[in-house]
Amino acid sequence: MLSELRELWKFRELLVSMVQRELRVRYKGSVLGFLWSFINPLVTTAVMWVVFGKLLHNRIDNYAAYILAALLPFTFFQTSVLDASQSVLNALPIIKKTYFPQAILPIASVISNFIHLLMGMGVFFIFLLVIYLRDPRIIPFQATTIYLPFLLLLSLIMAIGFSLLVSALNTLYEDVKYLVSVGMYMLFYLCPIIYFIEQVGSSDFNKHSGFLVFKLYSLNPVAILVTAYRKALLAPPTKIFMSDGRISDSVPLPWWGLPYVTLFSLVVFLIGWKVFYRLKWRFVERP
Amino acid sequence: MADNAAGEAMISVCNLRKEFVISNTAIGSVKTLLLWWQRRSVRKFEVLKGISFEVHRGECVAIVGRNGAGKSTLLSLIAQIYRPTAGTVEVKGRVAPLLELGAGFHPDLTGTENVYFNAIVLGLTRKQVTERLPKIIEFSELGSHINAPVRTYSSGMMARLGFAIAMEVDADILLVDEVLSVGDFEFEQKCKERIRIFKEAGGTILLVSHQKGTVQSFADRCIWIQHGEIKMIGKPSEVLAEYEGKSVADLTGS
Repeated sequence: MLSELRELWKFRELLVSMVQRELRVRYKGSVLGFLWSFINPLVTTAVMWVVFGKLLHNRIDNYAAYILAALLPFTFFQTSVLDASQSVLNALPIIKKTYFPQAILPIASVISNFIHLLMGMGVFFIFLLVIYLRDPRIIPFQATTIYLPFLLLLSLIMAIGFSLLVSALNTLYEDVKYLVSVGMYMLFYLCPIIYFIEQVGSSDFNKHSGFLVFKLYSLNPVAILVTAYRKALLAPPTKIFMSDGRISDSVPLPWWGLPYVTLFSLVVFLIGWKVFYRLKWRFVERP
Repeated sequence: MADNAAGEAMISVCNLRKEFVISNTAIGSVKTLLLWWQRRSVRKFEVLKGISFEVHRGECVAIVGRNGAGKSTLLSLIAQIYRPTAGTVEVKGRVAPLLELGAGFHPDLTGTENVYFNAIVLGLTRKQVTERLPKIIEFSELGSHINAPVRTYSSGMMARLGFAIAMEVDADILLVDEVLSVGDFEFEQKCKERIRIFKEAGGTILLVSHQKGTVQSFADRCIWIQHGEIKMIGKPSEVLAEYEGKSVADLTGS
């Protein structure tokens, strides 16, 4: 693995160039270009704010901020893995004609999406500033925001690990990307993005199961990760109402949450790396 | 054998074997993964059956043989694109593969953007590409087209740009796979002239060609590959005479 990493470092200029290419190709021919990276999370947040904040009466202040804080890292994970799944296949004509470390392909997909995540985070902080300016009594910025770089790093490692794995498998078995997109769709609802982890913890379903539901729910590392983003970036919501009008219990992030996600990310990274480098010679000989 | 023993071996191929798996289903799918008991239907096809030779610094070696003899597979193995089934390939220095000109271009990006991308794939730094860009554009004769997306290019234009890039990446070894005949006559002459300069500067070339003239004017040695094995190795004139004699004999059926 060390020699492989060294080779990757040797080709770092190629990685930079691939990321630039990917960012450039994505908005080539569109008038608004790069602005779309900002518009997408904004529109999604606006829709969710109207539907869940207003129509469904969640009565939580700044509901949109809570959605955005979790939606941005989730969207990064989802789109980078889905983009990466096609990355090797799309580059097959190049791979067949020149040698370079192919792992660069999925990694470049992840990094270009990571740049979108960073821009999205910029939008998020501007949004918090707007909240503050509208009502200076509320200071929405949290001291725990200093954990953000660590959370971003975790997201990056996890996304690269999954992307290596999925891109390698999808190159040989093209059904994999359909499986992954269905999986991502389910994962979206299995993560506290349009709802709160507190609502899972306080649900009757959880209580009747002897808290087993919540334990299983917490095993999902992506759910833990997006909850960590939410808790680091925003103050705990004032009151979260359940559908029957009760106020939910507060649920802190479990102490083992981040160590668990860190370990999970590293293991996924290692597995993805090993699988990719084991299968990479078969890409060009793909029937 | 006109073996240039004085030079340092730039390419050493030793007992090289390569077999491909021919699957009966068109595309790999989870189905083929799960239906393991059907994998017996997978056939293996041996393209190269143990090949050994060396190419020395400053030498040009031509490979001739019928279609499907394994010439292109051999070049791909030397370019590190395939992994050998058995045997070894050792290459010293930077390789510029001219396997199919323009294959690595992205259609939606402009010529310039593709120059950067391809030259970096071949090992240049961004700064070096910027310095060499004018020379590449000049050699490719694309003029203002260089700022148009590559999808608007003709195949000749793409070939010219691909060749111009490959010649500017400071390669030690050129792998040329019948790409010299894609441009028009003038450009072909220009390419040949450029390759001659490359060779005189000490560059090593491995060339696959069906054109007798090209082989005779460039090659120091010639390798004839038949059915995945080296049939003959030696002076171009001798090997070509044998090869052509055999081909004519095959055609007339005697």
